[in-house]
Amino acid sequence: MKISLRDITIDYDNLRAIDDLSLEFHEGEIHALVGENGAGKSSLMSVLYGLNLNYSGKILFNEKEIIWSSPKDAIQHGIGMVHQHFMLIDELSVLENIILGYEPDDALGFINFAKIQTGIKALLKLYDINMNLGELVTNLSVAQKQMVEIIKLLFRNAKVLILDEPTAVLTPNETEMFFKTLRNFKLEKKIIILITHKIDEVMSISDHVSILRNGKLINSSKLKQTTKKNIEEQIVGKKLPKLNLRRGIIEEKKILEVNSLRLSTRFSHSQPIDLFIKQGEILGIAGVSGNGQNELIESILGVRKVLSGSIEYLQEDITHKSTRYRRIKGISFIPQDRRKDGLAIKSKVWENVITINLSDQKFSIGPFVKKKSIKNYANQLINEYSIKVDNPNSSVLTMSGGNMQKLVVARELSNNFPLIIIENPTWGIDVGSIAFIHQKILDIKAKGAAILLVSNELDEIEVLADSAVVMYEGKISKRITKDTKFRENIASKMLSGVHFTENING
Amino acid sequence: MTEIFDPEFFSSIARLTTPILLAALGGSICHRAGIFNIGLEGFILLGAFMAVLGSFFANSAFIGALTAVFGGLFLSIIFAEFHLRRKGDPIVISIAINILALGLSTYLLRSIFKVSGVFSHPEIEKIPHIQLPIIENVKILDLLINDQSILFYLSIVIVFILHYFLKYHKFGLWIRVVGENPEVLKSSGINPVRIKFLVLLLCGLLCGLAGAQLSISNVGLFVENMSAGRGWIAVVAVLLCGGRPIPLFLLIILFGLVDSLSLRIQGLGLPQQITELLPYIVCLAVLIIVSYKKLRTFSRIIY
Amino acid sequence: MQSKKILKILRPIIEIFYAFFSIFILIFLLLYLSDANFSLAFKGFVNSSIGGRNNAYLFSTLSKMALISGMAIAALVAFRGGLFNIGGEGQLVVGGFACAFTGLLVSDFGFIGILISIISGMLAGATWAILSGFLTVYMGVPLLVGSLLLNYPARFITSYLVSHPFRDVQSGLPQTFLLSKNVWLPYFPNTRLDLGILIIFFVYVICLIIFYYTKHGYHSKNMGHSLSYVKLSGLPTKKIVFKTLALSGAIAGIVGSIAVLGIHHRFTDGMLVQPLYAWTGIIAALLVNLNLWFVPLAGFFFAAIYTGAAGMERIAQVPKEIATVIQAVIILFVVGKLGSLTNLSSSKGDKDD
Repeated sequence: MKISLRDITIDYDNLRAIDDLSLEFHEGEIHALVGENGAGKSSLMSVLYGLNLNYSGKILFNEKEIIWSSPKDAIQHGIGMVHQHFMLIDELSVLENIILGYEPDDALGFINFAKIQTGIKALLKLYDINMNLGELVTNLSVAQKQMVEIIKLLFRNAKVLILDEPTAVLTPNETEMFFKTLRNFKLEKKIIILITHKIDEVMSISDHVSILRNGKLINSSKLKQTTKKNIEEQIVGKKLPKLNLRRGIIEEKKILEVNSLRLSTRFSHSQPIDLFIKQGEILGIAGVSGNGQNELIESILGVRKVLSGSIEYLQEDITHKSTRYRRIKGISFIPQDRRKDGLAIKSKVWENVITINLSDQKFSIGPFVKKKSIKNYANQLINEYSIKVDNPNSSVLTMSGGNMQKLVVARELSNNFPLIIIENPTWGIDVGSIAFIHQKILDIKAKGAAILLVSNELDEIEVLADSAVVMYEGKISKRITKDTKFRENIASKMLSGVHFTENING
Repeated sequence: MTEIFDPEFFSSIARLTTPILLAALGGSICHRAGIFNIGLEGFILLGAFMAVLGSFFANSAFIGALTAVFGGLFLSIIFAEFHLRRKGDPIVISIAINILALGLSTYLLRSIFKVSGVFSHPEIEKIPHIQLPIIENVKILDLLINDQSILFYLSIVIVFILHYFLKYHKFGLWIRVVGENPEVLKSSGINPVRIKFLVLLLCGLLCGLAGAQLSISNVGLFVENMSAGRGWIAVVAVLLCGGRPIPLFLLIILFGLVDSLSLRIQGLGLPQQITELLPYIVCLAVLIIVSYKKLRTFSRIIY
Repeated sequence: MQSKKILKILRPIIEIFYAFFSIFILIFLLLYLSDANFSLAFKGFVNSSIGGRNNAYLFSTLSKMALISGMAIAALVAFRGGLFNIGGEGQLVVGGFACAFTGLLVSDFGFIGILISIISGMLAGATWAILSGFLTVYMGVPLLVGSLLLNYPARFITSYLVSHPFRDVQSGLPQTFLLSKNVWLPYFPNTRLDLGILIIFFVYVICLIIFYYTKHGYHSKNMGHSLSYVKLSGLPTKKIVFKTLALSGAIAGIVGSIAVLGIHHRFTDGMLVQPLYAWTGIIAALLVNLNLWFVPLAGFFFAAIYTGAAGMERIAQVPKEIATVIQAVIILFVVGKLGSLTNLSSSKGDKDD
């Protein structure tokens, strides 16, 4: 079995997402598709999967040309895709999610649940997979949800499995188990296409590597014929800028202290959270997204109620103070979802640099705003942070993801506040912007700010943090200080199912 | 006391519950399918007018019910065209449909029947009632659910059919999926737009019947703006119950009860406006209680 | 690719033609149903909206334009801030009643009396709007339904008040006494057009200033784009909500006051509800995609349809409700171009966690 993509070109209005690309996939092979965010990996696969019918070029299945009319068409030919954002309905059971679209029904259309249960259980046994079919998807762990997605593909007799960033949400342990399943699929002569940006995993599991950059195929070769360094360089296309690692001093003064904090989360076994951050220190919270990091940040910012415990900022108890109070006292926040939480995206650039600072004399007189001053300030930020935008009057929507994030970072870091909370700041943006933002974070740390950095990228924590904790299912691990084994220590704590029973006064 | 809770009170409950229930059932299918249809008021109104139109000209209540359904379907198609095909905002469309139905029904009342305000005529056939011989002997049941319009019994049956349909039928599953995440349905190879279109048609059908119940069931006439806010009560009921048929049924019985109570109280000398206000106050009260309880369970602070 | 480009330019033109065509077919159908003489009807429509002896009809249109534009501004103020306040009708009615009630009390105060009455209308409207805000912020009631449901108590309570305790029994209708001429809004010289439109213009300018030159204007606008962003930034969201709603309700109250002091000179049950001022205002605001600059245009447009239809009824016996139908159809055709105006419609309600 072989799939060939020939001369594929995809255009979205003015943007060329894929440029004249040709690739081949063979059975029994794990083919890794790597590249930066925006390189075109997902776009390319959406064509193969039948989600995108707007392209030029050919798809050949065993030398025969095929044209999909819909995803159903592709599915019927044995193509299955597990998306980065799961296509599951939380409110339904595992079983309902699996059979969606392929329901075994009687003449009137009513589903024969009993019959199909036995069928699927047999399938699970074949691949040695454990799953409770009656469980609601919302109660599953992320790794289990992903397994449901894969069972869906097996149920539909997929011969080709396209997996979009499957290990982004898995712990190292879960990743190993996942790879074991993949190797089983290889033995069944399936074609496996792995979209990923984790080069380490590419080196350990794949047979073939293809690198995309800006919609073009840079190189496609067997794993044995290339090296990790080669791949990294081909992804970026140029040398990565080196960060100026000016460290600064960490004072003894504790800026933020969280004591025995209990939150209402969906994790049943969560323990009270304790942590602190000193002046001039970057504390990293490592761990896969969805383990309670977001809830913790929300409670520190004051948008989530706490069940018990306290939060102290600059030695003041702010546990029950409003978000407004906390922000005015000096907490900055760079959110993960810049489009929803970080910006008013339909407004103009200059309208997005004024939040609580609007009350400053610099920007307003009484109820009236000083537009000129605000626009000047916006220009200042644009220049200082090299934000690519026409002028402060432009709509934020015209900016790329990386520049939008730079705008948020610019606005928040320019306050020079004592405490800065940062959540996955470089998610989904280009490498150049990532390096820039990392440097700015280090600069502000050197000026004495205390920074709480939540990130699911180990690289980011390793580069920026002075110490780190790992968060898993609402629990915080013991503090790990930066030394030569920083990365390994964090990674080992991220093994699944760890019960953090140690004392956390590290 | 006995003046209020007389036999008339009990037998009115079912009659008053039916139109709201039918419309709310239509609304809840829309809700489960992720269609924010708050135009039930307009659907009912046009249905009520079309029922009188059909019943009068064809001398048949059945035709009247049929034309009522056509009225509902007409609005469904409009909703579908501007929301599903042109991607318009469903709330704006709902408001437009409410206004459209009001204008259209009044205009047609005046241009076809050449009257203003009310059209009443002995030739308007009314929907027949059903007598259940078994129930006659049980006094309280006899009062409550005997000798009611066909549509009342139909609405009860639909409550249960809808409940099982959503749970166990293929199409019911698709409706639930399209309401939670249409992308998922699409990636399983099913066209979400087609599902939503059928849902809208079902809603139009049910709301049309709701209108028929209003105008050609107990009485045989059409009054300008006859739906008189019942569509909005149905909307609130749907929101409060999350589109689940059985809780919806119970809640609307409560509203029917209050409606009946307000009618009885009018006879006691309280001013008409205050008694008419009663159902809305109760509706508001229930809304506040349920919303507040829900708010307390939220961990996130929204405002 | 030439054909693609041509299609791109042609498309909007085709769409507009299609819309116009559909509307005209609809109008013809409706006119046919009422056995109307087409040319008579059209002549009557045009004459009654912008013509008439000494421009009498034009002034009538302008008078209605004030009310519709005012309600459109009221709706726009709230919608822009992300608050789907559809309780404009209730706010309008309590404002109008409060104004009439006050007007009866201050009939000897002359011009000051007019001012006090309008202010009382503003306060009443603002209070009614703040009430729905309270339900939303502190009780978790979705604003859409809360504001809507409050329309009914407003209607029924004012109806009761002018049908019983404060009724002008001699007049035979459910309404207050006629206001003394001292508190009537003056007319423009040599016309029968009251100053209401001037007042609304004043409101229009004030709102423009608020939107584009004040802190509240920008905070409100950003809140309309993203509540979570504004909340996380530390802005006083509750205060912004109440301020915005108060403004919206106050404007509705002003509109009610103008109707009372300038046109009817008393408060009659149903006089503000029957003509659908609030709902027409809402769709007028939506028609211009919540862009305040164009509201007077939309207001005039809808007012002209309204008075034109009234004229069609007088001259060609076409029921004036045709205006309502036309307005609703227009907004339907426009809605496709507006995109998603409410963030509500994309979610099934608040999701926790």
